[in-house]
Amino acid sequence: MKRRDFLRNSTALIGGSVVVSSAMFMPTALLAQDTPVTGGTLIWGHSETTQNLDIHQTGTASSSRVLQNIHNSLVTVDENLGVIPQLAESIDVSDDGLTYTFTLRSGVLFHDGSPMTSTDVKYSFERVKDPATGAVSFEVFNNVASIDTPDDLTVVITMSSVNAPFLSRLAENGAGAIIPVGSGDTQGTTPMGCGPFKFARYEVGNVVEMERFDEYWDGPAYLDRVLAREISESTTRLTGLRTGELHMINDIPLDRVGEIEADPNLQVVSWFPLNFDFVNMNHNYEPFQDARVRIAFDMIIDKEALMQGALWGQGATSPSAGYPSAASYNTDLVQRPQDIEGAKALLAEAGYPEGSLNIVFKATTNYPYHIETAQILVEWFRMAGVNLTIEQLTWADWLSQCWIDRDYQMTMMNFFALWEPDYLFYSVWNSTGAFNYRGVNDPVIDELTERARGTVDDAERAEVYKAVQQQIFDEAHDIVLWFRNGTIGAQPNVMGLDTVVHPNGSNLNFHKVWLAA
Amino acid sequence: MSLTYVLNRLLSVILTLFLITLVTFGVTNILPGDVAMMIMGTQSNPEAMAGLRASLGLDDPLIVQYGRWVGGMLTGDWGNSLIFRQPIAVLLGEKIAASAIIVVMSMTIALSLAVPLGVWAAVHRDKWQDTTSSSAALLGVSLPDFFWGIVMILVFARWLGWFPSSGFVDPAEDFMGALRHAFLPSLALGLGLMAHLTRMTRSTMTGILEQEFIRVARAKGLAERVVVWRYGLANAIGPVITIAGLQVGYLFGSIIVMESLFNYTGMGWLTYQALLNRDMPLIQATVFVIAAVVMLTNLLVDLLYLAIDPRIRLD
Amino acid sequence: MKKFRTSKGLIGVVLVALILIVGLFAPVFIPPEAATAMNMTARLSPPTWDHPFGTDQLGRDLFYRVMLGTQTSLKIAGAAVLMSIVIGLPLGMISGYAGGRTDNVLMRLVDTLLAFPALLLALTISAILGPNLQNTIIAIGIAFTPYLARIVRGEALRVAQMPYVEAARSSGTTDVMILTRHILPNIMPAVIVQGTISLAFAILAEAGLSFLGLGTQPPAASWGLMIQASRDYLDIAPWTALVPGLAVALTVLGLNMFGDVLRDVLDPRSK
Repeated sequence: MKRRDFLRNSTALIGGSVVVSSAMFMPTALLAQDTPVTGGTLIWGHSETTQNLDIHQTGTASSSRVLQNIHNSLVTVDENLGVIPQLAESIDVSDDGLTYTFTLRSGVLFHDGSPMTSTDVKYSFERVKDPATGAVSFEVFNNVASIDTPDDLTVVITMSSVNAPFLSRLAENGAGAIIPVGSGDTQGTTPMGCGPFKFARYEVGNVVEMERFDEYWDGPAYLDRVLAREISESTTRLTGLRTGELHMINDIPLDRVGEIEADPNLQVVSWFPLNFDFVNMNHNYEPFQDARVRIAFDMIIDKEALMQGALWGQGATSPSAGYPSAASYNTDLVQRPQDIEGAKALLAEAGYPEGSLNIVFKATTNYPYHIETAQILVEWFRMAGVNLTIEQLTWADWLSQCWIDRDYQMTMMNFFALWEPDYLFYSVWNSTGAFNYRGVNDPVIDELTERARGTVDDAERAEVYKAVQQQIFDEAHDIVLWFRNGTIGAQPNVMGLDTVVHPNGSNLNFHKVWLAA
Repeated sequence: MSLTYVLNRLLSVILTLFLITLVTFGVTNILPGDVAMMIMGTQSNPEAMAGLRASLGLDDPLIVQYGRWVGGMLTGDWGNSLIFRQPIAVLLGEKIAASAIIVVMSMTIALSLAVPLGVWAAVHRDKWQDTTSSSAALLGVSLPDFFWGIVMILVFARWLGWFPSSGFVDPAEDFMGALRHAFLPSLALGLGLMAHLTRMTRSTMTGILEQEFIRVARAKGLAERVVVWRYGLANAIGPVITIAGLQVGYLFGSIIVMESLFNYTGMGWLTYQALLNRDMPLIQATVFVIAAVVMLTNLLVDLLYLAIDPRIRLD
Repeated sequence: MKKFRTSKGLIGVVLVALILIVGLFAPVFIPPEAATAMNMTARLSPPTWDHPFGTDQLGRDLFYRVMLGTQTSLKIAGAAVLMSIVIGLPLGMISGYAGGRTDNVLMRLVDTLLAFPALLLALTISAILGPNLQNTIIAIGIAFTPYLARIVRGEALRVAQMPYVEAARSSGTTDVMILTRHILPNIMPAVIVQGTISLAFAILAEAGLSFLGLGTQPPAASWGLMIQASRDYLDIAPWTALVPGLAVALTVLGLNMFGDVLRDVLDPRSK
């Protein structure tokens, strides 16, 4: 009886499905603005602890979120996810796709006052390329044969073979961040670049302080200082915002977003998507080698009800992990509806009758909503005759067991919404991809993702990626659940919040943010 | 106090400290995963990780790493935290100072509550006052201290708004602010401590109040208040403080949870972060320091006890 | 038995009896699904007629959860204490009886372990072994062993100097005989008292480990896990923390009171 209660009640919630656009939606109050004023210290309640401050090495979102303000990149992306020059003034790609010529902006200064030149670019890229640096994006430079600097403001990169996503990959994850020659060893403790803010102070676990860089090439920022106070406890962060101790916080607790949105004394910025989540099945574990089992598992899950349950409605379900507003997103796919009886039949057909599957689901406490998701799944899987046992893992244990050793049966993970399709589909689903911790080995996907790398025409490439998504879905290699919203809560006097979220959806940029009196 | 006893004691402390380094090093190396994995997270790929691992010195043989660690500690070079990229000696200095505020404050709270309560219970032994006091003390030890922490946040930060619910403030910058931020975690820890100390005070005082010199004092017609507080307590305070010293180990265990709960970035927080991030040099340093502090306070307390009460058997 | 008639003794006995009854019989009367059944229309509901203790963030009934959680907590605490006795008892007895070099080596080891706060030790062991029920028990059991070994050693030392032990030894009785026939029965009272009090600490330790995510695994009901989950909803749903918190408090309070009285009864020296 209790089981049915859960089903009925959860489906009852789906009445109004969430409509989210890929653009940011802003409170109307923000649209009418005075002219920006300079000055003031913004106190930001940051949700995570900042660690290694080396932008080339760090793979954690927490550090990148801060470092985005200290560094600039050779290229970046605009709101439509098109690659645009940042520290470069122009980019010229040869017709054969093998030579990239970057003309650098003149008059760009590093925080120590020295001018940025082609030798700094060469140094930075060679640093990332060198495996000994341990840079997360080092494979971006895999095909790079040489980096030449004919003059101070020209960089010529020659590739050994065509790598169509090269430019867009440079815009991601600090791969294209330029640091001064010889500063590599000190970046981890005192990061320095040519971004709008200078690094001022780092007190481990407490605060990162940044101050305005007056000679910033794109005009100085408005704020004197940004104080990123690290407060990992979400309710504490909220209290800080309520009491006025903090000007803004990122990551409002999921169950409280509605309440803060209704509060006339606070503003909420929410954007979509922040990240996607998917349920993973280890392809080396025997039952999951059969596509029928994976499809049956997909059928057990009611994604919309799960999203309401675990995310309190702060997201939107999606059958594909492709970036929703990207041209390559496959709009033809529809998630499989929940069908417990159908799943049971399919499992029986695959040789797993009711009660024969006992599966351990590893979930990390690093993302509390993963634990909630897992607990809801246990109930549904029990209805389908599959016994799911949860094992909670700390982040370190999840990484070592699931990511590195691939020692798991089922798990789930989220990735920051990756707008760059090669980065997303090749890394996650190609059998040799760096993020293929599920052991997916599908020749169709391998061929398609490889073909896309050699396809220079954008529209044609988009079609290839649509086919990749179709294949992932048909084979149910993973169960894609949803895209989660990102949220920021702020005091009413924090202005320019419409510019704070980087188009990639994960970094925050304070260049155009200001405080009204 | 016999000199050979002290020397023996010191020698055994040094031996134990050495054993502690072995245990700490051994245990940290059994921990699954490493810091390179933590730095790269879900952005890692095997080649880049191998590079990072080598550049962090994680590939060296264990005996080399152990030698480097112990040798470094002896020469004052504690190395760098791999995850925070800061010198460990600096980090330890900062965080020990932060935790010291909590340790001192919770001790003060605990003693100022436990001593009167314990004396009160001893004076009215087996009466309702005794029952009340020991029940209160029992309630204190009966709740997990993190639960007290949660209650403190709820009552004093959320509902009443008297104290901040989290964070650490450097006393050099804002002294009152630092005390206000340390108050709630200290109170939560102090309540647990108070319980132990109340029981100790009660039993010590009970013993003393039965002794001859108290009877003499009473017979001389001294006021009961003077007998209890001036004669009784003066003799009980030594043992009570000794017991309080022995609680330092308990305190260091508790601050791990408490500092995480209050986001108070002291030693406990640092130790937990080091563990979570598999930052071996930092785990080794924090755990060693905690174990050493516990050992040394115990030694100090022992010697103090010996100095106060030479009747203690020397075995 | 007069000691049990003091109010403290009475409260202790009643509480311990109550908890044992709940721990034993709750799973008989409450089906296991009752603790995991979710209701998305009644999330974080305050106490009502339907849910006398309120519900948690997934709409699960806290009354059922706290009742079924009793057995989980008792099981883990009981097994952990038993483990510390099984290891600590022979260790302490041998150390205290043999004396000399054996004693020195064993106690140096115990001292080393004692220098690490018990919680830190349990935390590290749990991190090495991975989180699940058995490993939680092992972690707490190991962390508690040195304390027990210390107490047993002291007792064994005392008993070993008794005249009748000396007599037995001089009459050629084997060491094993002396240990099992003479020493063990005489140190049992102290072990039982220490065991009861350790039980209280083990319940706190389980709660602490679960609180850090290293103990019992969801969706099983455990008090520590419930307190941990309540953290994010404290200010809007305080009952989610108070219900399991009070359960822990009453249990540990009962065990402590019971232990105190037991000490008075079993240990003649404490009169």
